[in-house]
Amino acid sequence: MKIGFIGLGIMGRPMALNLLKGGFDVGVWARRADAMRPLLEAGAMAASHPADLAGKVDIVISMVGGGPDVRDVMFGENGVSSGVGKGVSAGLIAVDMSTILPATSRQIASEFKALGVDFLDAPVSGGEVGAIAGSLSIMVGGSKASFAKAHPIFACMGKNIVHVGDSGAGQVAKAANQIVTGVGVFTIAEAFNFARQNGVDPRAVRDALMGGFASSKILENHGQRMLERNFKPGFKSRMHQKGMNIVMQSAHALGVSLPAASAAAQMFNAMVGAGLGEEDSVAMLKLLERLSGEEK
Amino acid sequence: MSQGTRLGFIGLGAMGRPMVLNLLRSGFAVDVWARQPEAAQPLIEAGASLCVSPADVARRADVVFASVTSSADVEQIALGTDGLIEGFSAGSIFVDMSSIAPTVTRMIARRLSEVGVEMIDAPVSGGVQGAIDGALVIMAGGKCEVLERVQPMFSVLGKKVVHIGEIGAGQVAKLCNQMVMVNTIQAVAEALHFASAAGVDPAAVWQALTGGSAGSRVLEVSGKRMVEGNFTGGMVAASQHKDYGILMSEAFRSGVPLPVAGQVWQQLNVLMGQGWGGDDTANLLRVLELSGNGR
Repeated sequence: MKIGFIGLGIMGRPMALNLLKGGFDVGVWARRADAMRPLLEAGAMAASHPADLAGKVDIVISMVGGGPDVRDVMFGENGVSSGVGKGVSAGLIAVDMSTILPATSRQIASEFKALGVDFLDAPVSGGEVGAIAGSLSIMVGGSKASFAKAHPIFACMGKNIVHVGDSGAGQVAKAANQIVTGVGVFTIAEAFNFARQNGVDPRAVRDALMGGFASSKILENHGQRMLERNFKPGFKSRMHQKGMNIVMQSAHALGVSLPAASAAAQMFNAMVGAGLGEEDSVAMLKLLERLSGEEK
Repeated sequence: MSQGTRLGFIGLGAMGRPMVLNLLRSGFAVDVWARQPEAAQPLIEAGASLCVSPADVARRADVVFASVTSSADVEQIALGTDGLIEGFSAGSIFVDMSSIAPTVTRMIARRLSEVGVEMIDAPVSGGVQGAIDGALVIMAGGKCEVLERVQPMFSVLGKKVVHIGEIGAGQVAKLCNQMVMVNTIQAVAEALHFASAAGVDPAAVWQALTGGSAGSRVLEVSGKRMVEGNFTGGMVAASQHKDYGILMSEAFRSGVPLPVAGQVWQQLNVLMGQGWGGDDTANLLRVLELSGNGR
């Protein structure tokens, strides 16, 4: 099975490398030609644009910035869809692994369906570390048949691979993931800052909490990094801010209240405004310290 | 610009219609276009001439006004097929009085400037009554000299025109207006809800607060509706909800926290989810009542 990979940024590059390591034939395209170099050196073939790439493969994957970027590589000039009927195989499956609005994803799926192309939304969680280690969580929406065909590919990039439901369901799961992690990081930072402002060592608090009902992956991993004051990304807070914005826009369209996520989203806005956007989302702790009158 | 200036007006809804009538009454010639031609009927009877497209309006008029609903509508009217840009000649002015995203305003202004057309963003506050009475507050963004040229029309439409700044600045001011207004409606709803739950007559509390340091226009108008249980009609909540979507997107883009507005937005989401979007924003009180009236 041949795979085309579009978007070779901080996430896409290691994901495509893992596909090569898994023994797949991989073709690549990226807006910036120099982004392709490490992949070409590792044995990938280059394509001149998304339509060209789609004509050479069985499955084409995008991992790009946001909804407009996905639309652009799929339906724009020389996009994947422009190759349909001109060399792109009839059974082509298009997979988008970016994080975008569920509504946009559903729209893309229905436009592809009209062209006879099956589309999966397959956003991931696990960050750069998970992408490098091939241990991402992959949340998939779309047909079961295409999910089954793409599964061996997902297995090279991730560990926890779940078919969540129909088109858009993967993005909905990702949004739910953002709610839990966004509110989670905010909560842990709040608890640690509260402990410290109360004259108590947050290390000891974390130890105590880890044994009880407040224990979680976020307390364990993110909490540990807060204590070490290790604010290197990881997952940049501006990316988390973007994810929270998608969540809040979806809630707006649905008429659903997300009061906790909303509070967290505003804190992520503040992080970006405070110049913490390039740091890991655990730098939420720094923001709370500033709000408590501590310059850090 | 004299009363001889030919005006165009696009969007003849609850706001647009009375605005055009006021311009006609002041002696301006007005060319109009609306998606539903029947909306133009009363204006044609009052002396306006009907055009077949926005481009047609732009070909005939020197200054074209728009008052429509969404960013997408304004973009379509200005830049779409048969849009204003196809009919404008260099030196024309486009005045957008709709409430839309400042980023879209700036994008449209940039495209129009490429063909020598100037743009003013001029969202208003004051509602339908203000439009009828010619008593709107107009928040304008754009160049001083362009604003001066449309000042005669603005003084027909409104009682107060504030030049906020460059293009898009009017929309930013309008978002601030919406935020202060609706955040306050939520605060008033919470106060009256709290009073009820504590076994106190909200009407008496409302009366006590009006005129004191918690007094405000919102307390007077929206608070009165809440006390009277008058939730239908009025200031349409769906429109405030739309504005909050724009406001919070701008906050995201700017990296600025709006913690209270973020929470009010969630209450508005509930209001919309309940299907109350066509009614007054005072329904924020009923959103609170969804979780009971206290123990």
